[in-house]
Amino acid sequence: MAVKGSKRNKRPVVGVYWRKLFFMSGVFAFIFFGLSSVQLFRADAVSTDLGSSGTDYSSSSVKIVDMQIRSDGSIYIDGKKSKTRVTTIGDKEEVRIPIVDNVAKYFSQVKVNVELPKAIANSIGHEEILMHSYGSYMSFSVVDSTHVTFIATDVSQLATVTPVITMPKGTVNPPLLLKIIGYLTQFKGSVWAIVGISIPLATMIFMFLFIGYKIRRTKVDIPKEQSSFPPMALPPALVGVLYHQTVGAREIAATLVDLALRKNIYIMDRERDFAFVKNKFDTRLLSFEKILLSKIFKDNIFSDQKEIEERINNHLYSKKISLVTGGIYVLATRLGYFKVNPQKSHLKYQMIGIFGLFIGVAGFVITLVRFPDPAYISFFWLGMAAACLVIMSLAKKIPIRTPLGQEALSSWLAFRNYLASPDKIPFSLSNQETFQKFLPYAVVLDCEVSWARRFSEHGFEIPGWYMTAETGMGLQEFCLSLYPIVSYVGRSMAAIREPGFK
Amino acid sequence: MELLKIILEKLIYGGGIVFDLAKWLIVVFVAVMIINTFFISLFFVDGASMEPNLHNREAILWDKNSYHIAAPQRLDVAAVNAPSDPTHKKYVKRVIGLPGDKIEIMSGRVYLNDELLVESYLPSDLETTDEGSWTLGEDQYFVMGDNRPNSNDSRAFGPVDRRFVLGKAISIVFPRFRLIKDI
Repeated sequence: MAVKGSKRNKRPVVGVYWRKLFFMSGVFAFIFFGLSSVQLFRADAVSTDLGSSGTDYSSSSVKIVDMQIRSDGSIYIDGKKSKTRVTTIGDKEEVRIPIVDNVAKYFSQVKVNVELPKAIANSIGHEEILMHSYGSYMSFSVVDSTHVTFIATDVSQLATVTPVITMPKGTVNPPLLLKIIGYLTQFKGSVWAIVGISIPLATMIFMFLFIGYKIRRTKVDIPKEQSSFPPMALPPALVGVLYHQTVGAREIAATLVDLALRKNIYIMDRERDFAFVKNKFDTRLLSFEKILLSKIFKDNIFSDQKEIEERINNHLYSKKISLVTGGIYVLATRLGYFKVNPQKSHLKYQMIGIFGLFIGVAGFVITLVRFPDPAYISFFWLGMAAACLVIMSLAKKIPIRTPLGQEALSSWLAFRNYLASPDKIPFSLSNQETFQKFLPYAVVLDCEVSWARRFSEHGFEIPGWYMTAETGMGLQEFCLSLYPIVSYVGRSMAAIREPGFK
Repeated sequence: MELLKIILEKLIYGGGIVFDLAKWLIVVFVAVMIINTFFISLFFVDGASMEPNLHNREAILWDKNSYHIAAPQRLDVAAVNAPSDPTHKKYVKRVIGLPGDKIEIMSGRVYLNDELLVESYLPSDLETTDEGSWTLGEDQYFVMGDNRPNSNDSRAFGPVDRRFVLGKAISIVFPRFRLIKDI
């Protein structure tokens, strides 16, 4: 219902309710800095406190470590299984594991006896990393075909001793799961990116085909002829839910215009802002209309833009708006237009989507934690999560109308043809009444601009329910003034609906 | 108990604030994880080896993707996996030598392929200690801290393989914003 050229400088509604956006930005910042705060990257300095604390030679000792590299790739240090495993680097298999790391104790010698998984001692590569230790030395020697030894001397309290062994690929035979992980991590990031995009894309295609199939099965006759009158006396919001299968901003906006037409409220254009004024209490108001009015006015009879915004902004979600939308769904279902309450139907797919989303996100997190960096395989899970969002979003389009609903919609589409017709309607006082009377229906049937275009601008008289200080307002100015007000309120209110509210 | 019942009802009926907020939280969490894992992350400097250019506890923004696209460049300030314990330790160092380079430290100065390396980012009176000579392999980099007398780097653990060079530091974001290229 956006109208170009609006003279108002309204707060933009970006499809995301700004308060939620603000709230989530805070959460985003918190998580981002929270994740980052645990990442300390060392600007690793040579320790200068060796001299001051002194090396405790009196407690010097020899440390002997037995390292066993097993054929499944696991590593045992002094009989205990290490978390570090043999890793595949290109065409090599590598063991790189710190044996001594800043243990605050001087060793005159650190000896690492390594048992290899196969008789390959003469064909392995080796590297000796000895850091934070002055005048020390680390050596490598082959003991026999399956045993090698690293010896580091004068190892300071702050030293790090890391023997590195590189073995030919295929030396170890890891368990199946690790083999699969190893196989999957071989693929490039671009491959996983394509997979990640393909999954939601395929889901979208499937959903479109499924919706298309359902539409063919529950075919609504799209009439060619025009009907110049509404086929039945229905509140515009109900026509909207029959047409869209959802209650959104248009249904709320149309209800506001309808309430104004019925003289329950006045809409005031105050140049810089707008206001609503309550007129009479109509006992014939429907329950959702009463709740909507109570949301706008609370206990007052006057409510300006600031007050309405405050009432909206005071909530992340509004129970009243949820009751309004829920009431519209219930009425439409009671009239027999839907097989099940559309709200319940949406909820079913929402549940499926959320379940899949949960699996996708859990897989994403596990992949990031368990797989080596960069864990491009996580794109698969992201694709799955995105596919679930596609399901949740498109499921609302799956037709759930009953034959009665299809018939009713067909009649309303004939009326829509009339509203959206390009043929001009000569303006007269009686036609002006027609324009106003059908305006809420044009809003819910997505054709309010076409409907306004059918009337010439000459001789337009501002409706009694619309109060403005502007004089000589033509039809175009009236539309440019009214549409943004009701659109803004409708969208703002639809955005604070509590989803799934029963 | 009543509260628990309300929460359970909300969960069972699948609607309401719990799920909608959860949805948003998931979106935010996933977005953060994607950015943090594949693109840009933040780390805090822990130590003095990059003084006077990076200080202890400064927060640094670094690009995790840069070295997937292009090779590390000379004088880049880079995040590097510690070759002694790549799973648990990460360093921030400056890339001095590129694959194939010959690095020589002599008389307090660094010579790159037999030519004196001009290091404008260091104090003029700072000498590079630990004399030695290294010829880098085709996939190796020589990294050093800017605080030459007080840095554990390739002089101690030798040249590092490219797989250990993780990403490029972009800017200091806390306590004062500065671009790394300006230091």
